[in-house]
Amino acid sequence: MVEIRLEQLAHAYRRGGAYALRPLDMTWRSGGTYALLGPSGCGKSTMLNIISGLIQPSEGRVLFDGRDVTALETGRRKIAQVFQVPVIYRSMTVGQNLGFPLVCQRLPAQTRRKRVEQIAERLGLGPMLHRPAHSLTADQKQLVSLGRGLVRDDVAAILLDEPLTVIDPQQKFDLRRILKEINAEFGVTMVLVTHDQTEAMTFAEEVVVMNMGEVVQSGSPRALFERPATRHVGSFIGAPAMNFLPADPMGPQVAVAGTGLAMPRPDATEGRFCLGFRPEHARLVREGATMSGIVTRIWFEGLDEILALDHPSGEVRLRAPAGIGLKPGDQAGFVLEDGALRLYRDDRLIA
Amino acid sequence: MRTLYLALKYLAVTLWSAFVIFPFLWMLSTSFKTQNAVTGGATWLPWLQFEPSLAGWRALFGGAGGVNIVKPYLNSVVVTGTASAIALVLGTLAAYGLSRFSFRAGPIRNGDITFFFISQRIMPPIVLAIPFFLMLRWLGLLDSLPGLILVYVAALMPIAVWVMVDFFNTIPRALDEMAWMDGCTPVTTFIRVILPNVLPGLVVAGMFCLIFGWNDFFFAFTLTFTKTQLLPVSIVALNSSVTPWWSLSAAAIVSVAPLAVLAFVVERFLASGGLKGAVR
Repeated sequence: MVEIRLEQLAHAYRRGGAYALRPLDMTWRSGGTYALLGPSGCGKSTMLNIISGLIQPSEGRVLFDGRDVTALETGRRKIAQVFQVPVIYRSMTVGQNLGFPLVCQRLPAQTRRKRVEQIAERLGLGPMLHRPAHSLTADQKQLVSLGRGLVRDDVAAILLDEPLTVIDPQQKFDLRRILKEINAEFGVTMVLVTHDQTEAMTFAEEVVVMNMGEVVQSGSPRALFERPATRHVGSFIGAPAMNFLPADPMGPQVAVAGTGLAMPRPDATEGRFCLGFRPEHARLVREGATMSGIVTRIWFEGLDEILALDHPSGEVRLRAPAGIGLKPGDQAGFVLEDGALRLYRDDRLIA
Repeated sequence: MRTLYLALKYLAVTLWSAFVIFPFLWMLSTSFKTQNAVTGGATWLPWLQFEPSLAGWRALFGGAGGVNIVKPYLNSVVVTGTASAIALVLGTLAAYGLSRFSFRAGPIRNGDITFFFISQRIMPPIVLAIPFFLMLRWLGLLDSLPGLILVYVAALMPIAVWVMVDFFNTIPRALDEMAWMDGCTPVTTFIRVILPNVLPGLVVAGMFCLIFGWNDFFFAFTLTFTKTQLLPVSIVALNSSVTPWWSLSAAAIVSVAPLAVLAFVVERFLASGGLKGAVR
């Protein structure tokens, strides 16, 4: 359980080549839960491999509790990792799999057995200790991988590299719950890599959004939801995505033409402006609407409906309670909650 | 319908078995024949068509007109066994390296190194006869067991590398990485985590090494004189102006026996699921 600090960390796979990971600084507190979120090839796996020591970064340092481990070999970092495709020692039983890190540490058999039984019990693998590991299902294998991290009481952090990708939806839900519980119980730092925003938002206390080898925004799920730092984050996080409408400076304001959507005008007015808001922050009204348009589509989502409204400035989507009785072709208007509107210049949040 | 299918199946299997077993039975029967029973037209049944004789078998142990093959036999066992073991160990280590690490020397990459190994088997052995002869003479190892073992290791290692590289490539690299993270050293990782997964490969590579080593005549012939003979050479030495089919048959039987046993054991091992779970 350590605090992980990344200092001016960057990586290029070829000397002088393009950055796979652009220079970044980051501190992850001991016992925290973090998620690296981004599309494939955005550098999140590179970052994970640098932390576990499988890749030597071309620039910067990695510190565990203030100690520089950049040059330390993988085996000495006390990192555990759960891979995307379940990896287990298939020539061993479940128990031998769980106990293997302790064998590597040369702990006595007595201690090993006790630890292994304890962890297996916690993960619900108790009855399977003597089964060959290759006979397990995918989600059980992932639990074994997780258990191999937990048996060592000196484990620094558990890295999860898209561990839920190949798991069935129902088991995915259970496994995510177990991960959270384990984190609370053992106080072990966990870093989850994923391209699934729901997974990241529900698991982590801090989500690091990455794109093209760059950290775009890092913050609590709430912050990412309410104040996306770029249009990319706003579109990537939340379903449906955040609404963005082109806006122009008009008098003391920046406003979307033909609507009441407006924000105070900033000092500098060069650049492309747009206003954004979450579909969740809009409320349908009969009179006094800030903006109105023609309903073009309606998606059913259980208790909610998603409405698409057409307006000369662009299409917006709103989340509304189901059964409001609108149908495609109807005119509909909405107001926004106070403080729900965001101003972007050149796709970056400025207010 | 089903009965007919079964009947046809058994008929086919029986015919094929007869086809395969016949030469062995013929060899066995010939090994007990005398010259008259061989040269005077085909004879089949002992005691009825010919009088069985042990002359062919006696010739193998230094009997009249024969060559004592006991010592060459033991030499062959020692040379093939030792060379195969060394080739397997070195070849497996080399293959692991080629599968897991990137090497480069100028334009040469891993694939080229692997091909270099395999190319040793593509080249006709005769090309190597003179270099090997000169090298062994320089080392003072001509006509000796260590000399032969050295040459056989060189000849067998490509087979081991070739087979094992493919097997290692099927093992996901994440397995190595996981073991490193668990605190394993690279050597322990190799022995405790990776090797058990390539057991089928080791069996197959070992079998190839033993077969090629045991059957080699060329190097055994060109690199020895009289002191250190191997089995294939001594069997050829049985030959004379009148081909002694009876003693050659007996010799063929004893030289095929170990490989037949090996094939049987490996087949059992594969069928018993000794490899279960070793392959994804």
